[in-house]
Amino acid sequence: MVVIRLYMKLILARAGYFFCWSLLVMTQTVVAQGLGNDLDSLEVRPSLVSPQLSLPTQLTQVHVVSPGEYFAPPLVANIPDDKYGDMVRMGRDIFVNTAKYARRYTGNGLMCTSCHLQEGRKPHSGPLWAAYGMYPMYRHKIRTVVTFEERIQDCFLYSMNGIAPTLDSPEMKALVTYAQWLSKGAPVGVDLPGRGFPNVSRSQDLDPKRGKIVYETRCEICHGINGQGQKHNNGDGYMFPPLWGRHSYNKGAGMQRIKTLAQFIKGNMPLGASFSLTDQASLDVAMYIWLQDRPKNPKMSWVMDFFFPNMAH
Amino acid sequence: MWFVSLLKNSVVTRLKNVSIWSALFAGLVVLLPSIMIIPLVVPYPSPVDQQEQFLGQKLALIGKDDVPACATCHGREGEGDFKIGIPRLAGLNPDYIKKQLEDFARNPIKTRVVLEPIARDYVKTPRTYGDLTVFTPGTRNNPVMNEVSRKLSQEDRHNLAIYFSKLSFIATPRAFDFETLERGEDLALRGKPEYGLPACVSCHGPKGEGFGAVFPPLAGQPLQYLIQQIDKWQTGKRDNDHLSLMKNVAVQLTDGDKVNVASYFSNQSYSINRE
Repeated sequence: MVVIRLYMKLILARAGYFFCWSLLVMTQTVVAQGLGNDLDSLEVRPSLVSPQLSLPTQLTQVHVVSPGEYFAPPLVANIPDDKYGDMVRMGRDIFVNTAKYARRYTGNGLMCTSCHLQEGRKPHSGPLWAAYGMYPMYRHKIRTVVTFEERIQDCFLYSMNGIAPTLDSPEMKALVTYAQWLSKGAPVGVDLPGRGFPNVSRSQDLDPKRGKIVYETRCEICHGINGQGQKHNNGDGYMFPPLWGRHSYNKGAGMQRIKTLAQFIKGNMPLGASFSLTDQASLDVAMYIWLQDRPKNPKMSWVMDFFFPNMAH
Repeated sequence: MWFVSLLKNSVVTRLKNVSIWSALFAGLVVLLPSIMIIPLVVPYPSPVDQQEQFLGQKLALIGKDDVPACATCHGREGEGDFKIGIPRLAGLNPDYIKKQLEDFARNPIKTRVVLEPIARDYVKTPRTYGDLTVFTPGTRNNPVMNEVSRKLSQEDRHNLAIYFSKLSFIATPRAFDFETLERGEDLALRGKPEYGLPACVSCHGPKGEGFGAVFPPLAGQPLQYLIQQIDKWQTGKRDNDHLSLMKNVAVQLTDGDKVNVASYFSNQSYSINRE
């Protein structure tokens, strides 16, 4: 009884605060309306509205590429013609066409190459040659040291919204072999240039409305009007991956973090025009995409997903 | 059991009350939707489409008073000419053809630069300068096609686009030396990741067959035409791509890259609108 009474008291106190606050707001608006006539309409006052369009004072930082800056992985034509080479080829097939060659583990329309662009070779899009030498590695997300295989399992579970392949499955073996082949000649345990995604820094608060404009002007042409991606002409798999909805990554994926998504967008999107969006624009559009609906985090219950749809993992 | 008898009674009473009118009504309810679905399931050319196609064919094969027939250069089947490098038009996306004709007709000298915060019309090409975006209408420079498409009306362009998109085409794969094809394949499938150059297939389709109205096919186009177009992008004579996607790609290609990748796509087998 004591607890309930205390609780009631708390609620009543809150209600009282709310009542007082609303009275204050009402009186303030009345006063403001009364004073409205006295203000000079020609007086110059600073606007509270942030301008939508400004002059081109803010120059885009374009990443300068110099030859030899990034690690160059071996050519596909140089894959050896032996059992090892067959495994590398199988790994490449899975990586490029995951929906076909690892069908039993995927749950959506994404491929490995949807995030790790150009067959896992492109710097600033999580290239395999930079990642392979860094594992086993401590991951803050799950607060343990994880191996490369466990990291791939997480990719399947969250980004592909599917089932984690077991460590002894042929798909896992092939993917690890492919990654090892791609990083032949790269140093082990060194943070190579182009590893992961580039940095973004925030200068203003994020605004999904601005992000929507960015989406409609730059992303919609490929990723579709509702972010549902575009399927191949023969209806088999996606040409341009879906950004949200049933066939996209789930809420446990790394791309569900606004910062990670903005980093990816800045370094890789639009295709061929990397580093063309400003940090703020990529953060805004990342927030717009983050707000959309997508499959639930498999590690979270339906109830939590219903009441806290965008809770961080 | 009491509920079984209840069920039986209700069914029996309902059966007794069935009249011929209610039976007819039930039949209509079942039949009408199935009849309405038929036009959705069974495709047939609409009369409007056939009319457009006919007018387009007339224009393409005979021409207008001062417009020469398209067939004189682009071939009677719209197949183009591989030797001279005249593009094939058969089976291209109608919206793509229409946009190209409009861009040909636009006067490149009198190009007006419009400043807009939001791209409302994707026919225009956005250019990004930091926080400011400039939209210029696309232009394509070709002495012959500029003259021809200025004489065409909007309906003519539409009819031609419909006609050419319905034509069928089969490509003849051309032979090249092994090294050229290998390098071309590497560039077409993987691009140059260390320079931020995306793969051709990531937009133009996994076999270069084109995708939608924005990304035209590369397979089945003459080798010379592909090289010329990239040259024109580099020199600024062609400037009608969306989001300056192709411009960003073209400025990074060397002369060797152009030959290799165009050879690779000329080597592909490709067919469209064929059973």
